[in-house]
Amino acid sequence: MKKVLAVSLLALSTIAARAEYEQVNMTVFGMDCAPCAHAIHVSMKGIQGVNTVDVDLNTGLVSIKLTPGNSAAMRQFNEAVEKNGFTHKDANVIVRGQLSGSVQAPFLEVTGTKDRYALTPLASGTDISGLLGKTVVVDGILPQSGKGKVSDTLRYKSVMEAR
Amino acid sequence: MKYRMVLACAVLVTSTAFAADHGPVFSYATPVNSQRELSFDTGIFGRYGSQGTQLSTGSGFGYGVTPHITVNALLPASFGSGNLPESRMMSGTEWSAGASWRFLHSVTSVGKRLESTASLGLVIPGPQQDSGVLSTLHRAPGIAGTLATGVASRSQYVWFGAGYTRFAEASSDRRPDTLSWSAVYGYRPPRLRRGYDQWDYRGFAELTGEHTGSVLSGGTILPNSSSTTLWLGPSVLAIFKNVAIEAGVQGPLFRDVSESVYGRERVRFAINLSYLKYSSHTSSH
Repeated sequence: MKKVLAVSLLALSTIAARAEYEQVNMTVFGMDCAPCAHAIHVSMKGIQGVNTVDVDLNTGLVSIKLTPGNSAAMRQFNEAVEKNGFTHKDANVIVRGQLSGSVQAPFLEVTGTKDRYALTPLASGTDISGLLGKTVVVDGILPQSGKGKVSDTLRYKSVMEAR
Repeated sequence: MKYRMVLACAVLVTSTAFAADHGPVFSYATPVNSQRELSFDTGIFGRYGSQGTQLSTGSGFGYGVTPHITVNALLPASFGSGNLPESRMMSGTEWSAGASWRFLHSVTSVGKRLESTASLGLVIPGPQQDSGVLSTLHRAPGIAGTLATGVASRSQYVWFGAGYTRFAEASSDRRPDTLSWSAVYGYRPPRLRRGYDQWDYRGFAELTGEHTGSVLSGGTILPNSSSTTLWLGPSVLAIFKNVAIEAGVQGPLFRDVSESVYGRERVRFAINLSYLKYSSHTSSH
């Protein structure tokens, strides 16, 4: 009985600790024509865990939705843009991860990837002290990074405990 | 043996600006393949003149080594009996292989790029014209370099380009050096700035010019064998995702050509089909 309980708790804790990108909306500069968008679509779909990709040529917005349990990393999305000769700007992400660090210097760790972000609020007044150590869902903006790099700061709009 | 080595190098190293897929059909432009993108172009290029019509087909292959370097090769086949001047703007009778390097790439806003591309390639004699001044020459490989610069955007395109081809001498014969240049303006009307899952159309006005030097035959320069021409005409490009079809026609604006040597070239036309195979490969993290 104890063994069953232990295994159940372990399974529950594993589910609770699941971390992943749920949605990535990134602005891409330089796409002028349909093949440009198609190239981005093909490249993004090649990333394991990507469910749907939508590209709007007139706004440059690439909207990516991911399947639960994926282990896609932000670097892969950036690479998909760079290898087609375009430039990625800010990305709006909804990501699930483990909140660590302190109230003054909180971090989000997207387990299963090497992605780790310092969290900074977009607006003051958000209290995340009660969420430290928990699995949270963050809706925020990743600022533009240089080629081959990923921003180490995530500017969050909201942080909620993951269900 | 030397010839074989040059041919092998040509295939390995690779080309000249075989304008296609993303750009104009006659002129020099800047687009290169994405990394790992494989492109295939095939087209028919025609030159109609008073001494016959020369048709050539060209099949081009390109592969994106990096996002800004593409290697490519062009395999032509020529048929018809046109006695026409040398041309490097129109796919002709040369096998060529080369590399294009987009050395300037400035992305300024959504849909807009400012870029410059240089190409260098080897040109190997392919099927020879069956009539005219160039049909009897001993031919040797040449080297071709091109430079193109311009702006691409959702609404407008502007490209300027120039190229130079120099042929080696064979048995005291030498084909004329060719200096080519082009200017293109492209426009996509607002109602055609649609989603990428619909046909993408744009129109171009293409201005091209060429100056070919004198023909060397048996160690002697053939009199009146140099030429200078200027051509203008429209072309239309239609793309659906990774398939493109393009057609254009040009008429002469200016001709300084000996009609007794080459006749009178009246029309140039081209139809090109492209297939682009994009790579879905991404690195794992």
